[in-house]
Parts: sequence; structure tokens; C-alpha cells
Amino acid sequence: MRLLQRLTLVVALLLSSLTLQAQVSFSVDAPSPVAVGEAFRVEFKVDAEPDRNSFTAPAFEGFDVVAGPSVSTGHSVQFINGHQSSSYECTYTYVLIASAAGRHTIGSATIKVKDKEYRTTPLLVEAVTENKSTAKQGQNPENLVGKDDILLRLNVSDTELYKGESMRASLVLYTRANIDHIDNVSIPPFDGFWSQELSFDNTPTRVEYNGGVYEAYKLVEMLLSPQQSGTIVIPEAKLTARAQVFIESKRNSNIFFGGRDIYHVTRELKSPAVSVTVKEFPSGAPASFSGAVGSFRLESKMPNSQLDSNTADQIELTISGSGNLKFLSAPRLILPESFEVYDTKTIDNIKVTPSNTSGSITYTYPFVARSPGEFTIEPIEFSYFDPATGQYHTLATEPFAIRVMDDGSASTTPVISGGLTGYPATMRQLDRDIRFIHTGKLAHRAASSFVLSPAYWLIIVLFVAIFIVVFVLLRKRIRDNRNIVARRMKRADKVAVQRLRMAEHSMKEGRRHDFYEEMLRAMWGYISDKFNIPVSNLTKETIREELYRRNVSAAVAEHFCDIISRSEEAQYAPSTDGEMDEVYADAVEVISKIEEAIKR
Amino acid sequence: MKRTIAYILIIVASAVLCPSQLVAADSRTTAEAHWQEGIAAYESRNYDAAIDSFRQIVLLGEASADVYYNLANAYFKRGQQPTLSRPFSGGELGNAVLNYHRALKLNPAMEDARYNLELAVDHTNDTDGVPQSFISTLWHGLRNAMTTNGWTITSIVMLACTLTLVMIYLLSERIAVRKVCFFSALVIALGFAVSTLLATSSHYAAINDNRAVVQCSDTTPVHASPDSASKIIRQPSQGVTVRISRNHGEWSEIVFADGEKGWIRSSAVEMV
Repeated sequence: MRLLQRLTLVVALLLSSLTLQAQVSFSVDAPSPVAVGEAFRVEFKVDAEPDRNSFTAPAFEGFDVVAGPSVSTGHSVQFINGHQSSSYECTYTYVLIASAAGRHTIGSATIKVKDKEYRTTPLLVEAVTENKSTAKQGQNPENLVGKDDILLRLNVSDTELYKGESMRASLVLYTRANIDHIDNVSIPPFDGFWSQELSFDNTPTRVEYNGGVYEAYKLVEMLLSPQQSGTIVIPEAKLTARAQVFIESKRNSNIFFGGRDIYHVTRELKSPAVSVTVKEFPSGAPASFSGAVGSFRLESKMPNSQLDSNTADQIELTISGSGNLKFLSAPRLILPESFEVYDTKTIDNIKVTPSNTSGSITYTYPFVARSPGEFTIEPIEFSYFDPATGQYHTLATEPFAIRVMDDGSASTTPVISGGLTGYPATMRQLDRDIRFIHTGKLAHRAASSFVLSPAYWLIIVLFVAIFIVVFVLLRKRIRDNRNIVARRMKRADKVAVQRLRMAEHSMKEGRRHDFYEEMLRAMWGYISDKFNIPVSNLTKETIREELYRRNVSAAVAEHFCDIISRSEEAQYAPSTDGEMDEVYADAVEVISKIEEAIKR
Repeated sequence: MKRTIAYILIIVASAVLCPSQLVAADSRTTAEAHWQEGIAAYESRNYDAAIDSFRQIVLLGEASADVYYNLANAYFKRGQQPTLSRPFSGGELGNAVLNYHRALKLNPAMEDARYNLELAVDHTNDTDGVPQSFISTLWHGLRNAMTTNGWTITSIVMLACTLTLVMIYLLSERIAVRKVCFFSALVIALGFAVSTLLATSSHYAAINDNRAVVQCSDTTPVHASPDSASKIIRQPSQGVTVRISRNHGEWSEIVFADGEKGWIRSSAVEMV
């Protein structure tokens, strides 16, 4: 086993050394673009010792060869921790001038290393006619750095975009001069944008810009995302750049350094302000749209479809994709009323790339199902706007059925004040909307109001007329009726009243014996007249009987008999005046009560 | 002889009544069809079609309080459609408020319309009215408990009851009956007086109704005088209810709920 491992290791090492030997790189390097008339270098590099005179340069079509080839070789040996490594480099350099504007190809050069031929890939070099506006003349160093020689620009990847969409802005220094120092860099405030600085490759690049060939130095790169719609102006950026200028020395004193004087020219640079148009979202946004822009996917992790009441569980929702992820708000989750919902947790994993922010956000919705039952979790909707297609997209989870089992501790009936079931004490008003239309059959057109109309008056007059007619027709009966009643009332009391009056008379004169005699006569006589029974046949028993037969209450009958008894006793007993008053009043009262009861 | 007269009467009556009844029956069936169409359209959330159907019934002159109520609901729902650039951009709120008012004018007791009107008014920038006294609130609450005709019929029934009770009082021989009749006749006579007053008050309120609702797609300026160069004193939104106190050319003088007066273009308001 060990042996086998060693063997494989040896084989692997051998193979790698072989491949190392075989890897000869032969490459060409030239700047692009170049200005017409500008001398530039083309270098062919080989990292192994070439065979003698095996290098053949391509035909530099479209270029004038000013110098070359000049060959330089380098060889270095390194010992690091006892390991030897060596490198070899051979460079063939040409100096060329583009004779005409256009795209020229430097063809393949060939070289032989150990009789094996290698070729460079053809290289495209773009030659540009520069529009040199300022003549670089004179001996004043200030004049040697023209207005167009150093430029500061804020480049934006987009000038028209939707709110929330991302764009890239980079502050670039374009120069044709030899800049040795920059200072006082003021980056404009990106008001109205969410901004994130990006890391970038800060090696200068050669670019064609505004009809000239420049070295471009990227100073700052930002990812911007507008947060408001309308036109946003990014103000100017500023910096101070110092360029080196070489001028042939007039003094010619220094033989060794070519007799050139070095001057510094300082320039204050400003980039023009950039205006960005932020477009409004088109109309017809779905209800669940809350400003997400980009392209997203929605994944959900639902809880167990069966769980015990009063146990906690959660729903996880992951939105992934690229766009303004940092500005997403948690999609609205509608849970059944008996579910207790806790604060949503958000975990994000967002990367900022040069073109966008991408990654994922996970929303966790914890809940506790309080009461048992079958519930459906409504689909959770998430809408976003895709700026590429200019359309809204809505993603939704599937409706999810959940069954909450009774864990035995909760009663199914709601308990006031948030008891075991977890219902709040009062029902919450979740939302309000207009009530539904009225359906059913079409009601008849509303009649115009008829109050004070002729019909109304007619009805009133008719009613009153009917009343009057009835009154007139029955006037005799009404009059008679009124008389009968009056007579009845008179006659009813007449018998008793007369006797009582006599008793009253006796009472006033103080004749006790006579008073009671009259009282008794009045009482007996009243019953005798009223019920047509001879006085000789009357006893208290018969009185009670007769009164009972005529629906007079027993209490009244008893009272009546009581008054008779009291009068009989009082007739011969010594007594006071007050008692007479009392008996008289009682008698009047009881008789009127009997009258009332009988008439009813 | 009697028979001939009866026949003649029948012929004359049918000649007079039939054509008008036929026409009425015809427009009534059309209205019933529109009504069912409108309800179906509303249920399928096709509010444009629902509005059209209910408006047809109004144009036929068959509008009841329910028709105005449904029309107002359809307007309100259309104004909340997400396809609109912003809610009620087509002046739907103004139309909804106007039609809720019209429904309530025909049937002041329609509780649903009152609820929805309140909800719709919440979307406007209408000011709160001057708070009314307790008596006034009670009176208006009582008046709105029934339609004008409802109160009229109540008053007539009460009159009939009063007269009957008086008659029973006069004819009855029994004291108890007479007493009951006398006092209930008094109470019902009072009820008759109150309901007659309510009916009359409701009737005149409907006749002298100068309420109007602002109709526009957003807000409309109200000037200090009938002149577009004069100062703009307020910017009521659609659905604000005002009273029109007078007209001058193409301008109307309006009174807001809080008593402020101003001039508005007559085209921007519609009478309830």
C-alpha cells in the first residue's frame, strides 16, 4: 500500500517536470490604442532559450518600423529553502509608428525552442488620429500640458434607469501627460443614491477617449442605486494633478542626464456634472409589490403539516437573485387568527458585484399555533420589477394545509383575556372595506314623497269625514251612553249615599247611637237594595257569598263585614268621636270599592 | 243599463291605463335585466361593466336606493383597481360619494350606504362639519330612521288609530275601556303630530336639498370670487360634499361643512 502511494507520487512528479519543460510561453505585447505618429514598443517575449536565429518577426503591416529588433536576455537563478528555480527571458523589442488610422494586426511571430516552433497569437492594434488642439510649443512648461491632456471624468454605466436598479459610476483620470502626483481628490456626494464602493483593478489602461489616446487611471468605483425618481444630478468631482514636463535645457550643463530640465505643472481638474434620469415604475404594480427591482427566485420552507397546539414552528422564505436585495421588505404573511406571530427574523447573504448586488435573504416567521384545527396558510406573494423586460413578476408559495393537534392543555373554547387558547380578549378589526352590494330582485322605483300631496290631504280629509259621519250617525247613542253612565253612577251610590248622609248628619251632631244605627242601616240596606235580598234574610255569611258571586275580592268583603261588626259593637259601647270618623270613611271607601268591582 | 255602464267603464279604464302600464312593464323588465347583469359583473370584479349596467337603470328612471348604492360601490371598487396609476384617478371617489348620497336621499334608513359613505369620505380631504346640538342630532337621527313616505304612512296610521280610539271612548259603556282609550288616544295623537312633522321636515329637506359633491380627478380650486384670477382659498378633493348657495354664470357659490364659502366652476360639482 505504501509502495503504491510512493509510486504514484514519483510518477506524478515526473509527469509534472515533463510538462514544465514543455511549457514554453511566447507572447507579444503592444499598447492599444495608439495615436497615429506616436512611437510605441512591441515586445515579443519567450521564457526559454530560443535556438539561434530562429526568431522571425511578422510583417508589421500598417506600421513603420522605427527601430528594432533589439534583443535582451535575462536569466535568474533562485535558491529558496534549498530549492533551485531558474527563469529565463528573452525579449525582442521593436519600436513602431502607426502610419495610418485604423485597426492593424501584428501577425504571428515564430521562434524555435529546441527545434520546436512556437507562434504568437496575432495582436490587434488600433491606431487613432488624435485631434491635437493645442500646439505643444514654446519653452513655457505651462504650455506643454494642453487643456485636453489631463481630463477627469465620472463615467456612469447607465443614465436612464428605474428606481432601485443598479448602475456603476467610476471616476477616471485620463492623461496624456506624465502625472506624478494627485491631490485634493473630492468625490461628489451621491445624494439620492444608495452607494457602495467597489474594489477594482487599479492598473492604468490605455484607452481611446474623445479622439485621443489616454492612459486611464480609475480612482474610485461605486455601485449606485437610485432611491428616488426624477432627474438626479451628480455634482462635479475635483482633484489637483501635477504633471512632469521635460524641457531641453538651454544651459546644457548636465552631460549625463541628457540636458533636460524637469518642470512640474499643476492642474485643477473638474469632472462635468452627470445627470441621471430615474424612471417611474410603470402602472399596474401588483399589490404585493414593495419596490423590489431585479430578478429573483422565491423558495419556502414550510413547517410540519401536522403539529401540536402550543408548539412553536416557523416558516422560512428565501428570496435569492440579483437586484436591490438590501431594500427588500419581508413579504406579508397572513396566518390564521389563532396563530400567535412573533417578529420576523432576517438573515441576509448579499454580495456586491460590479454590476449588481446579488445573494439571498432568508426571512423566518416564527409562530405558535394556539388552538387545534385544520388551517390553510395562504400563499405568500412577492412581486418584483424586472428592469430588463420592464414587467412585474409575482412569485407565490403554494397554499399550505396545516393540521394543529390538540395537545390536551388547550380548551377549544376561547377564553376571555387571552387564556389558554391565546385568543386576544377582544376581536381585532383587521381591516375595513365597503360593504357588499345589494342583490336579489330589483326594488321598485322609489315613489315620490306624498306628504302634503293631494292624495295625502284626501286621505286625511277622508278619515276625518268618516269620523264625523260615524259621530253624527251615532250621536244619539253617544249622548245616551253618556247619560246612562251618569245615571248608573248616581243610582249605584244613591241608596247608600242617602243613608250615609244621614249617618254623617248624626255624627256631626254627636249622636253616637243614631250614627251607628244609620251606618248599619246603610250597610245592610245597600246590600239589600243592590242584590235585591230582604234585610231579614241577610246575614254576614250571605253578604260574603253574594259579594263573592259578583267577583268582589274576599278582602273587600271581609272589610265590609268587619265594619258591620264594629258598628254593632260600638252602638252601645262608650267611644270617642275619632272612631266615628274612621268607621264612616271606611264605609265610604268599601262601598265605592264594591261599586267599582261590580261595574267592572 | 247597469251592465252597459260597467262595460263602458272597463273599456275606458283599460284604454287609459293599458299603454302606460305596458311601457312601464317594458322598462321595468329591461331594468331588471340590467340589474342582474350589473350584480354579475360586480361579482366578477368587472366594475366598468357593473357601472354601465347600473347607470342604464338610472337612465331608464327605474333607480331605487339600492341601484344608487350598488352604483356607488362599483365606482368605489373601480377606483381601487391596481391598474390605475393612483387610486380614484378617474374621479371614481366623487361619483361614489355622490351616489351614496343619492341612495340615502331615497332611503335615509339604509345603514349600509351610510357605512360605506363614511368609509369613502375618509379618502377625501373633507373638513369636519360644525358639531350639532343634541336635540338636532336626535331629530335628524329620528328623521333618517325612515323614508319620507314611511313617516307619512306612520302619521296617517296614527291618525286613524287616534280617531278610532276616540270613537271607542265615546261609545264604550265601561269605565276601564274608556280610560284606556282616552289616554292611548292622547299618546297616539302626539305620535301623529311628531310623525307628521318628521314627514314634512324630511319632504322639505329633500325638496330644498342643495347639496353637491365635487367631481374631478384629483382636486379642484375654490376661488374667493367667481373669477379664475382671484385667490384660491381651498383645494377640495373629489368627493367633498358642499352646499350650493347660488349660481353666477358658470360659477357656483358653495358652502363647506365648516361654513367656509367660496366659488367653484359649476362643472366641477354635481347636485345630489
